[in-house]
Amino acid sequence: MPRCSVAGLDFRIIPAGFNAPLEFLTGFTIREEDGTMPYDAELNFVFWSPTKIIFGENTALHVAMEVEGLKCKKALIVTDGDLVRNTDLPSKIKKALGNLCVGIFSDVEPDSGIHIVNQGAKHGAELGADCIVSVGGGSAIDTAKGIAILLKEGGKLQDYVGFQVLTRPQTPHIVIPTTAGTGSEVTYVAVIKDHEAGRKLIFGDNNIVPNVAILDPKMTEGLPQGLTAATGMDALSHAIEALHSLQREPIADGIALHAIRLIKEFLPKAVDHGKDMMARGQMLIAASMAGIAFSNSQLGMVHALAHSVGAKFKVHHGLANSILLPPCIRYNADACGDAYLDILSAMGVDIRGISPDEAGDLLADKIIEFTKRLGLPQRLRDVGVPEAELKECIELALSDAAIVYNPKDITDATEVLKVYQQTW
Amino acid sequence: MAVLFPSIEWAEEYKKQINSSEGYKKAAATWTAGPVVLVISAKPEIGLNEDWATWLDLHQGVCREAKRVSLEEAQKAPFCITADYARWKQVIKKELEPVKGMMQGKLKLKGDLPTIVRYTKASQELVECSTRIDLKFLDG
Repeated sequence: MPRCSVAGLDFRIIPAGFNAPLEFLTGFTIREEDGTMPYDAELNFVFWSPTKIIFGENTALHVAMEVEGLKCKKALIVTDGDLVRNTDLPSKIKKALGNLCVGIFSDVEPDSGIHIVNQGAKHGAELGADCIVSVGGGSAIDTAKGIAILLKEGGKLQDYVGFQVLTRPQTPHIVIPTTAGTGSEVTYVAVIKDHEAGRKLIFGDNNIVPNVAILDPKMTEGLPQGLTAATGMDALSHAIEALHSLQREPIADGIALHAIRLIKEFLPKAVDHGKDMMARGQMLIAASMAGIAFSNSQLGMVHALAHSVGAKFKVHHGLANSILLPPCIRYNADACGDAYLDILSAMGVDIRGISPDEAGDLLADKIIEFTKRLGLPQRLRDVGVPEAELKECIELALSDAAIVYNPKDITDATEVLKVYQQTW
Repeated sequence: MAVLFPSIEWAEEYKKQINSSEGYKKAAATWTAGPVVLVISAKPEIGLNEDWATWLDLHQGVCREAKRVSLEEAQKAPFCITADYARWKQVIKKELEPVKGMMQGKLKLKGDLPTIVRYTKASQELVECSTRIDLKFLDG
């Protein structure tokens, strides 16, 4: 098998469409006809993923060992009110922590705000908490990241808005996700709303990456069908965006491609049969893998556009991503046909005979077919976005950090509007 | 004649370059978010014994003032970007795009990233302006 070496890395050159080596290489196709590589000779990157990941049914019940492993004695549980009211998940974790639990802060709500983080930190400080165990989806996890900052640094959360401004490790944080999608259990970002100013604040810092993520399928067992599908599409969007990002690199790419394989196989099963622990578990793994991938490679315009409709019209983040993926892929198609061929292959499509030029449209169609199968809405109008107000989303989208790494430059308001309109 | 980076002379020359840039004027015409401070972390081995902060009072495509300020004053600016000397050299040599550098953690940003992102083109024009100055670096 011919080989090539790029940037000091040795690769086998495999014939286009020959899928077997994908399983033991990093997962992308190097086409023999032109020796095309997805990276150039100037490739340079840093891959970083420090979170300890624990996987398995009922592993959340061993959370006390992890608290002790972090040399902590007073854990504050951070969770959302819905989970406390409608499930026994937070109380199970409290019980599992025993004497190590000093209290529960359950005031987290969707689109958590800085005032909630400030309250949580005050509560935690009063209790003398020395670590945090977050139980929930993205909102609970991001709130906990904010509380972790304030417990260590003091002050108000607004003082730490920015990127990489913290200079030391923050309060230890263990995450037990109850959805499979956000990936926040392994990422360096927290998005928290400033309700007074009506905008979302971004905190990006390597010091807020959680120490431990416990992926216990039992914790997602009761997630309703619609939320399972929408959060799963969030994970798929993370993986796809990591692969078409300007900062893509081989390690994150390999992880993202395998996440896509898992999502394609197990998301429909988790949606159809919520009690299928195999499917639930594989989706948790896929979501974390996609989180690791995008935390290193960054995202693109899908997230920039989705964040905006989420902020303006309260569209669920996963749903917004799901709806906006196909038109954004079509927009980027001529810039990343090779990446889209790899994604098609990971989604089980036989890519023999498909050219990179055709890949974008085919992938967009494939995703539409997939989301229809999941029973998800297809258009922005289906999720309450008024056509006349699409223009209001443009400015936010163009200010979103995710857009920086989109494979095609997008700075023109009319182009953004066109993409929104295509899927309205 | 080459000017030393960083120095008071450099700040003055940088202001001149910014104000003579049509590209910056256009890209930052609507910028009203306030001053931006560039902080170079101390590196005694090359003669930079303390952090060096340059305050750029940017407003609607114009640099109204460029001056050295204390670190304490720098923290009061709405945007404070910090990096070590080698990183700033990479930025000036166009080896590191500033907004991407912030997201990668190579430049530390205190302030609202979305505002900076919206003015990515302006930040690139600011880099262009810095490349037009004949520079002498502390480490050669």
